[in-house]
Formats: sequence, structure tokens, C-alpha cells
Amino acid sequence: MEHRILHVEDNADDVMLTGMAFRKAGCPAKLDVATDGNKAIAALQTDAPRPACVLLDIKMPTLSGLEVLKWIRAQPHLKRIPVIMLTSSVLPEDINQAYDLGANSYLVKPSGLEALIEMAKMIDQYWLRANTPPG
Amino acid sequence: MIQITTTPEPTPHTETGNGSTWAPPQMRANILLVDDRPDKLLALETVLTSLGQNIVKAQSGKDALRELLKQEFAVILLDVSMPGMDGFETAALIRERESSANTPIIFVTSYGNSDNHIARGYSLGAVDYLLTPIVPEILRTKVSVLVRLHEQTALIKRQGEELRRAEAARYQRELADVADRLEIETRRNRFFTLAQEMLGIADFNGRLLHLNASWNLAMGYTDDELKSVTGMDLVHPEDANKLMAGLNAVRNGSPLPYFEGRFRHKDGSYRWLGGTATPFMEEKLIYIFVRDVTPQKNAETQIQQLNHELEQRVAALTEANSQLEAFNYSIAHDLRTPLRSMSGFANALVEDEVAGLSTAGLEYARRIARSAKYMDAMLLDMLAYSRLSRADIVCEPVALDHSVLETLSVMEKEIRDRGVTVEVREPFFAVYAHPPTLKQIISNLLSNAIKFTDPSRKPVLRIYTTKSVQPLQSPSPRGEGLGVKGAPSSSPSPATDLVRFWVEDNGIGIPPEFQEKIFGLFKRLHDASAYPGTGVGLALVRRGAERMGGRAGVESEPGHGSRFWVELPAGTAPSP
Repeated sequence: MEHRILHVEDNADDVMLTGMAFRKAGCPAKLDVATDGNKAIAALQTDAPRPACVLLDIKMPTLSGLEVLKWIRAQPHLKRIPVIMLTSSVLPEDINQAYDLGANSYLVKPSGLEALIEMAKMIDQYWLRANTPPG
Repeated sequence: MIQITTTPEPTPHTETGNGSTWAPPQMRANILLVDDRPDKLLALETVLTSLGQNIVKAQSGKDALRELLKQEFAVILLDVSMPGMDGFETAALIRERESSANTPIIFVTSYGNSDNHIARGYSLGAVDYLLTPIVPEILRTKVSVLVRLHEQTALIKRQGEELRRAEAARYQRELADVADRLEIETRRNRFFTLAQEMLGIADFNGRLLHLNASWNLAMGYTDDELKSVTGMDLVHPEDANKLMAGLNAVRNGSPLPYFEGRFRHKDGSYRWLGGTATPFMEEKLIYIFVRDVTPQKNAETQIQQLNHELEQRVAALTEANSQLEAFNYSIAHDLRTPLRSMSGFANALVEDEVAGLSTAGLEYARRIARSAKYMDAMLLDMLAYSRLSRADIVCEPVALDHSVLETLSVMEKEIRDRGVTVEVREPFFAVYAHPPTLKQIISNLLSNAIKFTDPSRKPVLRIYTTKSVQPLQSPSPRGEGLGVKGAPSSSPSPATDLVRFWVEDNGIGIPPEFQEKIFGLFKRLHDASAYPGTGVGLALVRRGAERMGGRAGVESEPGHGSRFWVELPAGTAPSP
């Protein structure tokens, strides 16, 4: 079965590199991209099948990733969806707030393609294969 | 003729001696016997000796007068018929003298001319007369009566004198007491007159009735000017309510502990007066003690102003500092985003686009990737350093063993690859530290030691602790200011024990002139190709140590290795 991942990221380079990393990692999942928080909410509100997980950046214009996370957790049909924060922020307040709001994981964007590929592999292995998703 | 009918008696009393066995000489009365005939004198003396008095004999009126000059007599027995100056003449002269005017005189005369003599004798103040031949008993009786009379007179006189003396002494004492009291009061009064404080006595309206000179000196008004107003007339409007409240309290009988207020000087300026006031309820008076505290108040105001300015400046600096740190942080953070792209796409070029690249192009792409990676490492370290400066540091007792072993296990691969022998000299002393920061420090020190190995010898690493009792602010071995800057964000343990964590290597060592420099941010002594690194690791070590109330340093000799140390307050928990 083909997984879908919603990648919420405003930086086009990061979108491109992350997509590249997932391909190189051999991850079969399809990455849907939303380039800001509002678009992410819009994408999650369509009738399309629910993504297997959400990769969520924090620092974005208009609606921040934390606000998107809050919204997701408030939606009955989305509240259990695995949300993986993928951000450059290492501020303790961001990290703690993300967990407080119900993030399932917090990953700091690595630098260098190799590290990014490694991370993509781990996401694939853990969240798409090992992890049992909510019913 | 004198008939001696008396029986001779022992005469021990006639000896005057030392007077140690008998009454004092002054208690004996003097009896003067005057007769021109020695045999008669002897007869009289013989009769009177038994009286135990002091008998003085004179053979003429002249002699008698001479004796009377020398001393006082209780009685004089005076023979009337004497050649030259007779008894009457002598008596007349005796009476003329003040000292003997009242001395009893007994004339001694014969029967033959007794009538005539008796009359004349009395007129001359004789008290009695004796007719010869003398009857010893009568003589003794008469004389002893007069002697007793004399003694009693003398006694009364003495007692009177003693009484007078006692009274005089009492009077003198009282006089002295009064003088003393006066002296004390005068001295006490000087408190009032000499006091540099303004002392005054006011009525319950606050009007001064008595005041000392200090008021004039401090406030410029004359006594009369001050007595014509009350404190309320001179007090600064802003202090009036306070003064009124104080005055009311004093009127109700409670002393005013301390009052401060501004009062108008004659020159129109206001002076700060500070002092106390105590009521004396019985007389409705207020005792006031104040002094001019204007200089103190001015200094106080100035200090307050300075403090305020200082606080503002500190606040501004703190704000600027935290803004700067936030700025540093966001720069480091934001710079990483484009860097990730540069790094990622350079990697992609190298990996995926080899076909379209020349050899040189491929090399350039590799260089871009390498530089981007290095820059990213720098930014990450900078972020870590910045975080360390901003983070809340809460210290607790930490056993070093666990942190060291954990760090070593993380580095296990690198240690093995480089063939480093690690000697861990346990047990370690516990320290008082912030665990995450401590771990970072240990990690940085160990990776630093592993990195700068000398290729010519087998690298050996020794890890151990030492303990010392030293003041925390003691100068560093090199006299550099390694001490705690500013207050540590958590107080160290009360013990002054200090623990040094040592990481000793046998690597390349550090030249003396660089031993301080290497703790600075981005300070590197080597080409990145020889020893990779960003130059932040040791800066982090020092900053971390300082933030935990400790310090960090190094002892090194080029070519012989280095001993890095971190000094922290000893932890209360005993090291296992």
C-alpha cells in the first residue's frame, strides 16, 4: 500500500532536498507538500485519504507549525495522526511547546544531504513501517 | 603660822610622766598658790596634793601674774600680805586681764586683819577667803569645789565647742553637698549649652520656650524669632502632615521615636532636621532633640539617584545583552537555512550530477559542500554557546563517574580508531554542577584531548579529579582573570572545597602564549585540515564552568601534552 506524507514546509529548497532525500532513501511514500500553515489545513480538510504522518516545520509565515499542530489536535478525525516536527529550531521553548501540543516526534533539520537521507530512512522505517498507526 | 593637821598621803598623781596610766594632762586643773613664804607654800601644797591636781607655786604677785600668762587656773590661792605687790594689788591686776577675769581667787589672810581684808577681798572679786592657820579639810573642800566648778565649766565649754564644731562640720558638709550638686547641675546644663544638637523645650502647641544656641547656627533665626513661631510655621508643606501627626502623638504622651522633615531656614532655603521629641505630661512640655541632617539627606538622595541610574543602566545593559544574545542566536539559526540548501545541493551535484560535471566542476562542488559543512558546524557550536549563555543554570551535587563513562562510551569508536589509551583514575570527587552543562564540558574536553594527538607517540589520556580548599576567587595559576564573572546563577555549596576535573593528554601541547587564547570563541591554533574543529569547544568549556560558579584552564608544555582542568565547587554527595 502506498503511504502518503504531508510535508508542511515554506522553504522551497528544503522541500526539494527533503523530497530528494526520501527518494534516495528508497522510501516509497508520496510526499504531498503544503508551503504554509493555511495550505496544510486546507489539504487536511479535503476528502483525500488521511496522510500516514505529517512532517511539520515550525517557522512559517502566516500560521506557524505549532498553530497547525494545535488545530490538528483539535480535529476529531485528525487528532491521533502522527505529527513529526521537522524544523531548524533548537529552542527549548519550541521543543517543549511542540510536545505539549501533542507532537509525536521532534527532529532538527540536518545539514548535508547524507544526514538528510539518513533521517528520511529512519522516518520511513519507524513511522511508516515499525509504528502501528492509529485506527 | 600654818598648822599642818593633815596626814601625809602618797602622791603618785603628781608625776606627770607619760600619762599612759593616768588621765590626760589637760584633764588636770591648775591651782596657783601665791605666797612670799616658801614654808607656807609648801604647807598649802602638802594639803592640796591629795586632790591630784596640778599645783603651781609663785612667791610674789609678779610671779603669779607671769604664771597666769602661761596657763589658765581653776583657782588661785592668794596671800594677802606680801612684800612689794600685795595680794589685793595682784588680784586687781588679775581681774584686769580678760583671760583671768573670772578665775576664782581665795585670799589667805590672818585673823588679825581679817575684817578689813575680807571686805576688800570681796570687792576685788574674791570668791572666798581663808583664815590662817589653815584647816586642811576646809582648804581642801573649798579648793576642790572650785576645781570641780572649773572642770565642769571646762567640760561645758568643751562640749559647747564640740557641738559647735559638729555643727560647723555639718554645715560645711551641707555646703559641700550643695556645691557638688551645683557643680553637677552646671555640668549637666552644659549638655544644653554646649550641645551641637538643637535642644529645646516647647509647649504643647509646639512653641519653643527654651532653646540652645545651636538653633540659631542651624536655622539662622534669633531666639526671639524662633520663640514667636511654632514648628508648623516653618515646616515644608509636604512634611506638615507628618509633623502634625507627630505633635499629636507627643501630646497624647507617646515619645516620637524619630522624625525627619524639612524646615525653612531664615535665608528661605529648607533644611532637613531629624530628631526625637519626648513629652513631659505633668507640665505639658515637649523636650526636643534635633540636628541638621541636610548633608546626610542630600547624600542619601544622591545615592538613591545614583542607585536608580545604576539600576536603569544595569537594566539597559541586561536588556541589550539579552537582545544581543537573541540576535546571535537568530543569526546563527537563520544562517543555517540557506546553508542547508548550499550543502544539500552541493552534495546532490557531487552524487547525482557527476555525468554533467567536469573534473574541476566536481572538485568545486566538493569544496562548496565541505565549506558549507564546516560553516554549519561553526553555527551549531555558536548556537550551543549562545544557548549556554542564555540557559538557566541550576546546580546540584553530581557524581562525575557516570558522566565521564557515558561520554567515553559515546566516543568509543573514535577512541578505538585513534588507538587512544584512556586511564580513568576513580573514584572521582563529586562536584556541584548543572548536569547537562557538565556533560557538555566533559565531552568537549575529551574530544579536544583525543583530537590533538601527537602522531609520533601512542596517545594516552588520563582522567582524574583533585580536591583543594581554596577561595573560589583565588588567582589562576597564570594570574589571568579566570574567576567567576558576575554572580553565578545558582549558589555553590557552602563548603569552600573545590574539585578539579583533569583531562591529561600526551598530545602536541600548547605554547604558553596561546594557553589563554584557546579559551576564546572561534580561536584555533591549527589549520582545519590538520585538526578539524570550529574553535568553540574550549570557549564552551570555560563559559560553562563560569556559569556554574567555577573556572577552567590548562597547564601545558609544547611537545609534552596538556592538562586541562575544570574547577567546580565540591558536591555534597560523596563520590562512590
